[in-house]
Amino acid sequence: MNANLLEMIHRDCHEVTAASLPTLAPLKGECLLITGGTGFMGTWLAELIAFLNDTYNFNSKILLLSDRAYSFSAKAPHLAVRKDISLIDRDICSIVGIPSEVSLIIHAAATPDSRLHASEPLRVAQVITNGTASLLASASRLPRLKRFLNISSGLIYGPQPLDLERIEESFCGGPNCSSPSSTYAEAKRYAELLCSIYRNEYKMEIITARPFAFIGPYQLLDRPWAINNFIRDGLTGGPIRILGDRETLRSYMYPSDMAFWLLAMLLHGVPGFSYNLGNPNGVTLGQIAEKVANCCPVRPEISANLAENAKIHRSSLVPDVSLAQKTLGLKLLVDTDEAVRRTMLWNRAQVSNC
Amino acid sequence: MTRVVISDPTLRDGSHAIRHQLTTAQISSYCAAAEESGMPIVEVGHGNGIGASSLQLGESLLSDREMLQTARGKLLNSKLGIHIIPGFATIKRDLSMAIDCGVDVIRVGCHATEADITCRHISYARQRGREVYGVLMMSHMAAPDKLLEESRKMESYGAEAVILMDSAGAFLPNDVKQRISLLNEGLGISVGFHAHNNLGLAIANSIAAVESGASIIDGTARGFGAGAGNAQLEVLVAVFEKLNYSTGIDLYKVMDAAEYAEKEILEVIPFVKSTSIVSGLAGVFSGFAIHVNRVASQYGVDPRDIFFELGRRKVVAGQEDLIIEVATELAGEKDKG
Amino acid sequence: MNCQIDKLRVAILGSGNIGTDLLVKIMRSPYLVCTLFSGRNLGSPGIAKAMSLGVPVSDQSVAALERDCHKFDLVFDATSAVDHQRHAPIFKQLGKRIIDMTPSQIGEMCIPAVNLQGCVSCDNVNMVTCGGQASVPLAYCLAQVHPDADYIEVISSISARSAGPATRRNLDEYIETTEKAISQFSGCKRSKAILNLNPAIPCINMQTTLLAKVKEPDLARIRTAVEDTVSKIQKYVPGYQLIVPPTIEGERLVIMVKVQGQGDYLPSYAGNLDIINCAAIAIAEEYSKRIQQKRVRRHDPGGD
Repeated sequence: MNANLLEMIHRDCHEVTAASLPTLAPLKGECLLITGGTGFMGTWLAELIAFLNDTYNFNSKILLLSDRAYSFSAKAPHLAVRKDISLIDRDICSIVGIPSEVSLIIHAAATPDSRLHASEPLRVAQVITNGTASLLASASRLPRLKRFLNISSGLIYGPQPLDLERIEESFCGGPNCSSPSSTYAEAKRYAELLCSIYRNEYKMEIITARPFAFIGPYQLLDRPWAINNFIRDGLTGGPIRILGDRETLRSYMYPSDMAFWLLAMLLHGVPGFSYNLGNPNGVTLGQIAEKVANCCPVRPEISANLAENAKIHRSSLVPDVSLAQKTLGLKLLVDTDEAVRRTMLWNRAQVSNC
Repeated sequence: MTRVVISDPTLRDGSHAIRHQLTTAQISSYCAAAEESGMPIVEVGHGNGIGASSLQLGESLLSDREMLQTARGKLLNSKLGIHIIPGFATIKRDLSMAIDCGVDVIRVGCHATEADITCRHISYARQRGREVYGVLMMSHMAAPDKLLEESRKMESYGAEAVILMDSAGAFLPNDVKQRISLLNEGLGISVGFHAHNNLGLAIANSIAAVESGASIIDGTARGFGAGAGNAQLEVLVAVFEKLNYSTGIDLYKVMDAAEYAEKEILEVIPFVKSTSIVSGLAGVFSGFAIHVNRVASQYGVDPRDIFFELGRRKVVAGQEDLIIEVATELAGEKDKG
Repeated sequence: MNCQIDKLRVAILGSGNIGTDLLVKIMRSPYLVCTLFSGRNLGSPGIAKAMSLGVPVSDQSVAALERDCHKFDLVFDATSAVDHQRHAPIFKQLGKRIIDMTPSQIGEMCIPAVNLQGCVSCDNVNMVTCGGQASVPLAYCLAQVHPDADYIEVISSISARSAGPATRRNLDEYIETTEKAISQFSGCKRSKAILNLNPAIPCINMQTTLLAKVKEPDLARIRTAVEDTVSKIQKYVPGYQLIVPPTIEGERLVIMVKVQGQGDYLPSYAGNLDIINCAAIAIAEEYSKRIQQKRVRRHDPGGD
């Protein structure tokens, strides 16, 4: 990975820790296991903790568990070679033991690619349900486990009512439990239930994070989300095509904020509580397209869907994060415009890297 | 006024009727005429899509590349579209070549219950920044709810619309209404319809589709296509305009394009024959007609019997080899009887 | 003289449908014994099946084979093409023979009816694809009679139920690998492979058609060659059947075969799975017999 890209990550980590280092102090000297460790969240957590070790002598250890461990050295070679980062090549559904030095766990193993949810719902469901069960069973026997953060999903709420500006953690909705298109959401709901059972029966300190959407370095652009398409269209000179309803509302959090918030939730969250994780400031698809266009060296045209008058579905997915903000003192340092700008910069640097 | 996008596969679906023997001159002139008429999308290629030229499905006169390059040269405002079926065509050999030739719209088709085979092709086309639609073929062979589930898969892969194909011309208007409405309600993307005329209902079905929320409709010049043919393009344009939908197409000029096609491309203007009715009732892919007729005469069996047997076996497009097997069996029974 | 047959010890890597079906076939084989069945997930149905058969299992995947490398001499890799890329050098270093069930195109392509003997000395053999196993012997026959046949086309239809997520994700790889095998074994200049998934219920058996354009085809010779080949194939794929013998249809030569599976693990309609596994067992048994012969010769150097 070239120095330019490393520099960007380094700056992001510096920015997010500069004023809030004490929040992360309980991490010093601890051993953190991250399942799904070579994914988007795992990679960013590894970057942040590596930064803390190098800059502030945190002396923390990271274990990244993944069934794709071999791919990490290609994805983040500078992390793969580090002595404070170890890879565990294992299927999450088949955990029979965890190294006894592990004192913190972030369980991020899942398959957030919605194409897989459609094509292989059984595997998606099993990775989440059997995987969480297998992990919790082993985690409950750890002698030094202090805290466990379960990564759930903002999708567990079911569809967000259009008149609700932001979803709060107390919102009681839900997906349709008999439809295969609810696979990911329902499996995550079950995983949350299993975690609260372990908290109840085994007195484990388990906190839940419900992530929404993110945009930034290490995010693969091949997932067919609107923002990825806009960025791809922008990088290839446009036009940026908006398909579907321009007024559909989304929000995007930048991953350095995400990584910091995750660690804060892990270290300071109240066991038994769920915290939304995302950007509370919603933007429409139309606005996102504009933001992406603004970041292109030559501003491309923005065009709308071919069939404008078809029945289009508006939807919203925006979290209320006041619980995390008020009770954990968390702040959003990178706003949407800046997130888009940095993402475009990263992707352009990647392209020129080839 | 609500807009309906008409997509013209005269030079693709029509190809079945002339054993895929389209010439450069025909493609060139028809595309020029379609461009002139303001046709939104012009679809070009072998009847079963790019990469399908084969002994099984019929060898085309021109290579895919030649057809696409010829068409691209004549289409400026009109978009150039292709049909592609995974299992026949690959990304490396066929789809990337087509995109390099300047294709704008890629329609990835599969049997109505097997949408997951379209994931990679749809993803690839989206990554290359093209417009991508999913196409569910033989859609009469799946229950409406199943069609919605499969459409959702295509939506998740990045398809920008799902087109229901009535490949056998088996639907009645109410069947179309039910399915299109369901898809329209359940999807966040556009819905389209491709009619066949086996039971004389192509236009009526297309109207039912639009009135249920479809925004993309396929039609060919003079209904050019295998067997009983497709929804007649010029008629569609006229009827939609009369129903107060805007197509953006010049009526006189699309009629001129159809005149050209009738004179220079079509061998026969499609009409509903006995075998058309039978294949529509049996639910067999219209593109089989030419093969069935040929094999029937070779083996001395009634083509209608072949169709009903193929329907009973639920054959899908690409299984033309079964026609010989069925004919062999029927001939054997005839000899015994 | 002790003439007891020592079975060849084999390991299976990959506990999915292919690996598990292979296991069931190996249990029946007089020449092979499975000493290790290794996957990634203890909860997989394949592992449960192996345990019920009393076969040692592991969820350590390739690491288990590295650790217990003294327990087997040959490994069936039933994982994925991507995984096989990583496994191949490991087994090469350990000096283990590999039978690769994935379309990785790394090892020597093995079609038992055509090149069984030639493959016995190879360290890594690749079992191509189901369509390849069904059609390459026929293409080879054709090329023996008509070496000038320059285009061969193969169409396979399989039941939609027998095509799992891996098959569906890898249609392009299936096409590319099958075409390569057809060209390589027949010497034809151009080849084309088509795969259809048929959703009909009851599920259809695998059906494969070979089409070729041949000038002045010598039908009698082609038919004889094909009949011989079909008999050869039926020795290791009992469910392989010729349903349309070589026939001229217009300008084309047509040959059609059907493959019904033995129903060892998946239902019998999954002939596509069966044929590639039967072919793999055939080459493994041939290795075993070859080793046996060497042992017999060593014990009794006077005899032959």
